[in-house]
Amino acid sequence: MSAQTAEEFLTEIQKKAERGELLYIGKELRRLDDLEKVLGSPIYTNDLIPRNTLYARLVLSKYPHAIIKSVSVSKAIGYPGVRYVLTHKDVPGLNESSTIIPDRPLFAFNKVRSTGDIIAAVIAEKPNRAQEAAELVEVEYEQLKPVFDPVEAMKPEAPKVHDDGNIIKHVKVRKGDVEKGFQQADYIIENTFRTQHQDAAPMETETAFAVQRGERILIIGSMQTPHHVQAAVAKVLGWPLDRIEVIQAVTGGAFGPKSDEPPYDVASIAALGAIKTGKPVLMSMTREESMIAHTKRHPAIITHKTGVKADGKLTASKVQIVLDGGAYASLGVLVIVRATFHANGPYEIPNVWNDGYKVYTNNTYTGSFRGFGAPQAIFAAESQMDEIAKKLNMDPLDLRLINMLRPGSKTSTGQLMDESCGLPECLDAVVKASDYRKKKKLYSKQDGKIRRGIGIAMLHHGNALGPEGNDYAYVHLSVEKNGKIHLGTGLTEFGTGAISGLAQIAASALGVPIDYFTIDRPNTLVHHETGPTVASRVTVIGGNAARDAALKLKQKVLPVASKVIGCKVEDVQIVDGYVYCKEKKGKSLSWEELVKEAYEANIELNTLGYYMAPSCKWDEETGLGSPYNQYTFGAAIAEVEVDTETGLYKVLNYYVAFDVGRAINPKSVRGQLYGGTVQGLGYAMMEELVHREGYVVNPNLKDYYIPTSLDIPEQIQTFIIEKQGSMGPFGAKIVAEPPVVLPGPVIRNAIMDAVGKGVNSLPITSEKVYKAIKE
Amino acid sequence: MLVKVNVNGIEREVLVDPDDRLLDVLRDEFGYKSVKEACGTGDCGLCTVLMDGKPVLSCLVPAFQAKNHKVVTLEGLNSDPLMKKIQDQFRAHQAAQCGFCTPAMEIMGWHLLNRKKEPNKQEIKEAISGTLCRCTGYYDIVDAIYDAGRPE
Repeated sequence: MSAQTAEEFLTEIQKKAERGELLYIGKELRRLDDLEKVLGSPIYTNDLIPRNTLYARLVLSKYPHAIIKSVSVSKAIGYPGVRYVLTHKDVPGLNESSTIIPDRPLFAFNKVRSTGDIIAAVIAEKPNRAQEAAELVEVEYEQLKPVFDPVEAMKPEAPKVHDDGNIIKHVKVRKGDVEKGFQQADYIIENTFRTQHQDAAPMETETAFAVQRGERILIIGSMQTPHHVQAAVAKVLGWPLDRIEVIQAVTGGAFGPKSDEPPYDVASIAALGAIKTGKPVLMSMTREESMIAHTKRHPAIITHKTGVKADGKLTASKVQIVLDGGAYASLGVLVIVRATFHANGPYEIPNVWNDGYKVYTNNTYTGSFRGFGAPQAIFAAESQMDEIAKKLNMDPLDLRLINMLRPGSKTSTGQLMDESCGLPECLDAVVKASDYRKKKKLYSKQDGKIRRGIGIAMLHHGNALGPEGNDYAYVHLSVEKNGKIHLGTGLTEFGTGAISGLAQIAASALGVPIDYFTIDRPNTLVHHETGPTVASRVTVIGGNAARDAALKLKQKVLPVASKVIGCKVEDVQIVDGYVYCKEKKGKSLSWEELVKEAYEANIELNTLGYYMAPSCKWDEETGLGSPYNQYTFGAAIAEVEVDTETGLYKVLNYYVAFDVGRAINPKSVRGQLYGGTVQGLGYAMMEELVHREGYVVNPNLKDYYIPTSLDIPEQIQTFIIEKQGSMGPFGAKIVAEPPVVLPGPVIRNAIMDAVGKGVNSLPITSEKVYKAIKE
Repeated sequence: MLVKVNVNGIEREVLVDPDDRLLDVLRDEFGYKSVKEACGTGDCGLCTVLMDGKPVLSCLVPAFQAKNHKVVTLEGLNSDPLMKKIQDQFRAHQAAQCGFCTPAMEIMGWHLLNRKKEPNKQEIKEAISGTLCRCTGYYDIVDAIYDAGRPE
């Protein structure tokens, strides 16, 4: 660098600009928030509380379905160290803690519908005093007949969880003539698949801290969507929004439940407690409270009936999905939409008939969780494909090659796939890397008790919200006098690195290195309401808003540069933090110098970027149309080794390819492929939050197994495919969620390849494999 | 009861109840917030600290048992050259996603690298097997510790 003259340096930069090189896109840059994390700095909610903070503990329902006859808190209030006991009587506004359908009270009062229902919260000087006093809250119940099986719950005579029927939502896809399709088929294959409750188990549980400050209340908490928490607390308190300041603390994992109703509960309880006691209150769920009282992944019962020609061409697919919604609707009313639209897998099928139901039961409630209905739907769809291949005596790869989505084909809802459909490339990448054909042949000739198998699964995943809501985002940029650029948004970081990605996108649009950027904490009184941080939509939707904010900022500084340099506005270039004239006349400026000039010229350097995705059009009755603006595609192959005498198996190799449009930060993309795959392997192989008669049997990390470092395959080979999409900045597509989807079906199919029998329910325990072999 | 304990090289005295956990004393009395609670039942490993050089789960250690012992948290290692190397590798590998398990993972990595020069990946996986992470799938953490154990 030192040997280079300023002139040479400028020439080099200019060359970069002419090449249109993207200096900060597709680069494995470090995250902007990593230093505080590796130092163990006090950045999470529970690290930030003052010494005089009081602690809240929940009183949960003793029964899955019962009338509450009375609640007495007098003994609990008399317990040493207890300051207050909150019940529904303490709610000044609406006793409601719901996202979409107002069916869930913050504090249960007339009846309880699950063992996760909150009846009271004890507030005490120490957590263990609150815990002990919680046992002293006396609740008189009259038990009601419960219903736990969602299929039973759909029957008219079933006990009603709420006043109306138990079917909360029915989603349909009707394409072509499914009966005609079955008539055209040479074979009809029918199977039923089941999935379990999965707990997201973020390492940090749901937590919120509240303190009253004059007319306002300040809430600091762990969450995905601070503006929704603000609105929820406003409803409970009966206060206007501007009196409620919600700051998202650094959040220790989220995975979906923290976009759903649990953060409303902890924030509302902390706020009510702070108001009632006049002290700061922390409502931090214990792991047990969290695993009982927060939302989980819906168990599903999925039936497939598929028609296929002898040559492998699919003619018709009829799918019914029944999701166990538990006691409340939550965001689950949208989960069933995504599940039903993706129910047939990534295939072109001329005749489709899908019915998706989300159903109330007296199990604990289920809702948003990474994948949002796709893990259940794709497990069934991709398992069904291997059952079809078996019936046809065809290689499952060939069956997929015949029917898969590619540019020019149409989805189950009739949406045309354009050139951005990278599914063939994804499949090709994992087939080649795994040497699939050779291994398939090799493994078909095994005997002996230890057998290997190889399996495939793939998916399409509609991007961002689509039918789930208005897909918009705001991003603020403001520049300090020293050139430092603050990026602020109501979108949140909880581990994916997506917010650092926004800085990369803004940096590219502005022409200033990412080192100048700093991320501000999301604050509802500072940042625009910007929709939920869900559906992996930060990069795609937020990225466009970040780009917009950066371009607006550029429009503000260009005239200043033009004046100082003495160059036409349209000839001013900003590249890598240097500002110069295209014609190489006049002087060049650094970004800092330009900002200083702007300040002196009284140009305020704040911009608000906005993006709203094009609206998606589909028919409510038939599901037909284009429910999503673009799709992410993925394929995986796994090899397993099964001990046929015991059913024990292990994953030898895992290959996964995703078409992410454009990897803004490939290192962060791989982080999602690894992390999502391992969370998906937990779902596939070991995780089940067991409900027995409405009670959670294993609400702790001793009996609920999540993968440890010794449970993972030796390596996961990842492949990033980039077929640019129409919506995201630089062609980016979403990535964080779908990697969790593939392990379920790919492990199942690999085991079927090894032992000849498939396990049609998750998790695929060794016991189930053993039983399948012995049947 | 009054407990004398050396935390991060500083002699401390603290009044504790019999049911106070070392975890709470470290966080609430001494302000060492790198020590995390994610289960409270000894299953996740995120409250790991070093007691007389050995990893212990501070949620399972009654505070009085730390009497006359030496306790080290991540805050006490932040200026240690080996820990700095580990932290640099965690940043380079994006091994801290949500960051909640990061302090415990770094302590386990540091403890391993002090016992064993240039461990292989299986040895690293074994060393961190008692520490749960829900974000990374462990690969980037293993790579970070692996690279921190190699010569520059």
